[in-house]
Amino acid sequence: MTAVLAKAGTPGAGLEERKEAGWRKRDRWSGLVFVSPQLIGMSVFVLLPFAVGLVLAFAQWDGLTELSWVGLANFQAQLADPVFLRSILNTLGLAMITVPVGLALSLLIAVALDRLRGRTGYLLLYFAPVMTSSIAVSLVWQQILRADGPLNEAFSTVFGIPGPGWLSDPRFVLLAVSIVTIWSSLGLNVIIFLAGLQGINPTILEAARVDGAGPLRTMLAIRLPLLSPVVFFSTVVAVISSFQTFDVVFILTKDGGPENSARTIVYQIYDEGFKHFQFGMASAASIILLILTLVVTAVQLGLQRRFVHYES
Amino acid sequence: MNSITFSRRNFVAGALGVGALLATSACGGSAGGNSASQITWSTWGTPEEGQRFKTFNTAFKADNPSINATLQMVPSYSDYHSKLLTQLTSGTAPDVFYVGDDYLGKFVSAGVLMDLTPVVSGPDAKVTLADFNEALFGAGKTDKGIFALPNDCNPDVFWFDKKALAAAGITENPAELAAAGNWTIETFLAMCAKLAANGMTGAIFWNYWSTHWSWVTANGGEVFDSAGKFVLPQDPKSVAAIASLADAFANKSFTVADTLPDGSGADSLFVSHKAGFYVQGRYGIATAEQSGNKDDYDIAPWPTVSGKPGSSGVAASYLVINAKTKAPKTASTFVGEFLSSKGQTLRLADGGNAVPSVKGADSVVLGGNYPAHAKSFLDMTHTGFEDFSKEASVPGLSSDVSKAMLSMYQGKASAGDTIAAVSTLIEKAV
Repeated sequence: MTAVLAKAGTPGAGLEERKEAGWRKRDRWSGLVFVSPQLIGMSVFVLLPFAVGLVLAFAQWDGLTELSWVGLANFQAQLADPVFLRSILNTLGLAMITVPVGLALSLLIAVALDRLRGRTGYLLLYFAPVMTSSIAVSLVWQQILRADGPLNEAFSTVFGIPGPGWLSDPRFVLLAVSIVTIWSSLGLNVIIFLAGLQGINPTILEAARVDGAGPLRTMLAIRLPLLSPVVFFSTVVAVISSFQTFDVVFILTKDGGPENSARTIVYQIYDEGFKHFQFGMASAASIILLILTLVVTAVQLGLQRRFVHYES
Repeated sequence: MNSITFSRRNFVAGALGVGALLATSACGGSAGGNSASQITWSTWGTPEEGQRFKTFNTAFKADNPSINATLQMVPSYSDYHSKLLTQLTSGTAPDVFYVGDDYLGKFVSAGVLMDLTPVVSGPDAKVTLADFNEALFGAGKTDKGIFALPNDCNPDVFWFDKKALAAAGITENPAELAAAGNWTIETFLAMCAKLAANGMTGAIFWNYWSTHWSWVTANGGEVFDSAGKFVLPQDPKSVAAIASLADAFANKSFTVADTLPDGSGADSLFVSHKAGFYVQGRYGIATAEQSGNKDDYDIAPWPTVSGKPGSSGVAASYLVINAKTKAPKTASTFVGEFLSSKGQTLRLADGGNAVPSVKGADSVVLGGNYPAHAKSFLDMTHTGFEDFSKEASVPGLSSDVSKAMLSMYQGKASAGDTIAAVSTLIEKAV
């Protein structure tokens, strides 16, 4: 800033300024070109579909004929539909299983790997399902969870009784979907937690050790509180991700499971839109999901003040 | 060696150029083929069926060297119509495509299909309207025109296992009883009870519209009246039929194929002589062949109250032309040849999995002399009925009704509750 002011007072400064303005103009254009792929992608694949979805939520449209406005009728119909209400309960149930269990397991594994030599190999192993297509993962699990599959074979060998119908018994289908979801997302949270653990200032840990804190005390009183921002971030992401569960349900259950036992909100959106050709109803369900996600995230942000500790 | 200077200006200009190129290429979607002699057509099917379609394509190309017909196959029936809908909405649907009977009504009423009347009329028509079995048009024929023609069909027949029946002490042959006009529901239920008493499954049914409604009509009931009103709940015979269906599933005489566990599914039960009857179409030939001795199996029509032949469900798929095709003449040529007696023979001969929808191709069904009473396939096609237009006109309704029926088949809902649930579904949708 000082240099610019100094230049302004010297002869020929106007020319310099004009030159600089030209540079800046060209820079602005170049910058726009560089960010345009993102902007175009965001507009076409996020903003435009959101706007269209918002409009369709108040209309009746089958994708083939003219749309007609129906006001709030789609929302009323969805909220009165027991299948949709079941899908909300299933979605919440899935989140209540997969988020705490998935995060707890990830944290345990991250703590175990924190001081381990050759942890890169383990990390690759845990991260492999994250890199694998969820369709491929679901297809493999579909075979594992068959009534006569290897899981039930092992079950009957160990316990001497036939295993449950993971994908055919309404009491077990959501659990089966949860197991696959946890397994396939474990690696990502392990990496995040491990990065968080390794980011903790070692002098704090050393001070605790000098003060006589054992490993358990250090974990509960130092490492976990300092890791809480990372846990919070992972929880928010995991909840949003579990609210968007579709592919595992689609592959494992084909139609949301017996008696809609594993039908999630996103599966319901797909079913309304692409099986029943009711895009208005599907869009209304999307908006309800958005509101649900916003409310739950807002609650999490509110709780953050009480439970999350920042090192500073 | 010359060096190339890659300045920022060059980069920006290049990036804009590539962007413009990508943008214009992305906007290049069109309805199917891009010239009058090029068309695309789509269907669902297994790899084996795909092979038959490729054989047809090759023969079509030989007869019409100037036409290129490109096949787009979708493996799963349940995903096929979702894809088709997005293609139609975005203007990239094929020129010619298959439509399932449970989605046909919607596509017809939406006006996205071309009127096929010219295809089946005129001196040059490869196939005429009179060649088709009238009962198979279903929702494809309206007072505004003919918008879909049946590719082929599959009447649900009662495949029976002679060995299983004998093991249960049943000496009568259902096919012979039917031929004599004595194939009654009472006899059939008695046979199923004997089979169940001997530790076998009486009859296996697939959970879809043909099963529910064929049982109602076999019992003399009515599902929809001629005006398209769902009258089943008001018809005492229909209500009694649904109740007897619920009873048969409850006492394990009947089993629903869809919910049998992996590894011991319907085919396994039937080929291992653990079930007396298996209700399915001509594709049952493949099931019988799996047993190693297909002569253990034969077919009979649906039993009726009187024992005389009745009317039962015939599943069909339809061929249609996209109303926005840029090659209507070429598409019409393709449809004419695909549905002609020659085309259907090419697709369905030698153990094919369906029954032709036109006259003049009966040899496809009768030629191999298998099963022994193969003529029942043709008889039942002529007397059968397609999925009711009202049901077929609402996408997903047929599968919603079947889901409601499944609860009853699994013993989780009573006949009365199921009828009420189905009534609500149909009233709400229609």
